[in-house]
Amino acid sequence: MRILLAEDEKKVADIIERGLKAERFAVDVCHNGRAGHEMAEAYNYDLVILDLMLPEMSGTEILEKIRRKNQQVPILILTARDGMDDKVKNFEAGADDYLTKPFAFAELLVRIKALLRRGPVNRSSTLRVGDLEIDRLSQVVKRAGKKIELTAKEYALLEYLATQPGRVFSRTMIIEHVWDQSFQGLTNIVDVYVRHLRAKVDDPWPVKLLRTVRGVGYSLSDEGVA
Amino acid sequence: MNQRSISFRLVAWYAGLLTGIFLLLCASLYLDLRHFLVNDLRESQARRAREIANTLLVHVKQTGEAYVATQTEDWYDPEINDRFIRVTRADGTLIYISGAPKDGSFSPAEVPALPSSSQTEFSRKIALAGGKTLLVAALNFKSLGNPTYRVEFGTLLDPVETMLNHLFLQLTLGLPLAIIIITAGGYLLVHRALQPVEQITRAAERITQHNSSERLPVARTGDELERLSISLNRMIARLDDAFQNSRRFVADASHELRTPLTILRGELESLAEDARLGSEWRDRAAILLEEAVRLSKIVEQLFALSRLDAGEAQTDWSRFDLAELARTTAEQMNLLAEDKNISITCDARQSLSVEGDRVRLKQVVVNLLDNAIKYTPGKGTIHLRVKAVNGHAVLEVEDNGVGIPPKALPHVFERFYRVDPTRAGDADGAGLGLSIVKSICTAHGAEVEAISVPSTGSCFRVKLPLVKG
Repeated sequence: MRILLAEDEKKVADIIERGLKAERFAVDVCHNGRAGHEMAEAYNYDLVILDLMLPEMSGTEILEKIRRKNQQVPILILTARDGMDDKVKNFEAGADDYLTKPFAFAELLVRIKALLRRGPVNRSSTLRVGDLEIDRLSQVVKRAGKKIELTAKEYALLEYLATQPGRVFSRTMIIEHVWDQSFQGLTNIVDVYVRHLRAKVDDPWPVKLLRTVRGVGYSLSDEGVA
Repeated sequence: MNQRSISFRLVAWYAGLLTGIFLLLCASLYLDLRHFLVNDLRESQARRAREIANTLLVHVKQTGEAYVATQTEDWYDPEINDRFIRVTRADGTLIYISGAPKDGSFSPAEVPALPSSSQTEFSRKIALAGGKTLLVAALNFKSLGNPTYRVEFGTLLDPVETMLNHLFLQLTLGLPLAIIIITAGGYLLVHRALQPVEQITRAAERITQHNSSERLPVARTGDELERLSISLNRMIARLDDAFQNSRRFVADASHELRTPLTILRGELESLAEDARLGSEWRDRAAILLEEAVRLSKIVEQLFALSRLDAGEAQTDWSRFDLAELARTTAEQMNLLAEDKNISITCDARQSLSVEGDRVRLKQVVVNLLDNAIKYTPGKGTIHLRVKAVNGHAVLEVEDNGVGIPPKALPHVFERFYRVDPTRAGDADGAGLGLSIVKSICTAHGAEVEAISVPSTGSCFRVKLPLVKG
């Protein structure tokens, strides 16, 4: 998988590059708009990450130029502006996703994987993490064969975390997926729900699946700490 | 009418002054005229009395008293001229008395004798039956033949009185009328002159930081008011600049902070996850990361505020039921409250249609509930109510928490304001939640107010325009 990253802030580009390489992606980085456009023309990338404010040619322009050639490559926009107008304009121009700075790298990764049809497109009706089993059709959750009663929100939270076992989800991502934008900034609600979920899913068993990653968020994985 | 208004004071002052001057003028006119007329009459009667004395009584010895009587009758014709003439000797013997005047206005015989006086010349007003007054001038005259005579010459005061009464009536009727006309005219004139001030005031009332690009109407009259409105407009322009600068500053600052924050978060995130570091170092990186996340959140909220200020809330306008929104939000927030042993009751049965950005208005409910949960101790109760009041949809969030001290109450919607500065370390908030509530409400043309009794509880009330149908 080869990703093109056009980002003029060298340090930001560096972090993303390192992170993606650690995930075994091939990454080409450029720091200005024209180079970005030329590289996008020259090679058939699997994914393009564009910063909106690039010297010489803006991210929106590159986006329009790529889409004019009707290339179906997924494009993720990075921006330091999060005005609704910008968002709408770029989605109309053919962006597939939109991420506002500052973001958690974990979040960027989840979105990239979603765009590459690797991650949350786990469409199988049963999700498994260790001995935890989630039936998405009947919404029944079992651990070691024992049924666990969850409220609707608890279930939604657990299912979301289980879509990518081992991946860290930031509180902001959880809020946006499980709640809605109105809860923006109210991240303590996530902590409360995770605590309740833990009491039902983890506490009765010696192996803990729900992991807190300080400063980042939560993840569900079977490499959990005992 | 406002008694402190310029028009009232101006008109009252000059109407009062004019009334005073008019009253003085009229009084002096009336009194002077009366004095002059009565004196004039008295003088002419006295002169005639002297004439009779000089021309007839000087030689009464030679001519005889009967001659005096006939001559007096001939010369003065008292009956035709409505006059009263009486000549008596000092001992009281009547020599001549005029007959009743033709119009029969008085009867001379009934005129009482004047009291004797040591003065040679004097005059008296005699009240007659029928309310008439006779002005009589009397003269004691010693003739050459030594007997002393008294000549009385009188006339009715009534024509003078009638004239004076007439004048008095005219003045008492005319004066109030004149004052009414002057006051009304003056009021109209002043009111018209001050009309632009009213307009300027009303226009100035409407201008807030959200429509500071509007200007006051300028009346092209070339007078002081034009100058006033122009300089007020300049002042508003300067304020507008200041508002825009501060707005741009917040937008620019939060924008400029994003890139360094991205770097900070990215690096700290990889440090916190780096297995090569010892757990102590990873923990430290995580602490720094948490603070960087908090900083990002503040920047995001500031940016959201500046966007709301710039009027960007109207992108997702729709019509929806506020009661339903309140019910779902209360349900979603319930666990957060339960966690602190607080119960939320929701009274929103009647569906109320409002217009606005649903996500934003939900954020208002979320922030208000979150605020109430934060400042209510365990086992408290929060009431969420939605009702229609006078064509408005009113949403109330009432808690029985710690309340807000009166001196802090006017500031709770200010940015970064904290009722209790010692709670600044509160992990989640930055003191922006209520500012966001206020900005969203303002963008929706809604009002929001806080009522609170310390240690009893607080109530936040949002008033939204109701949509019919």
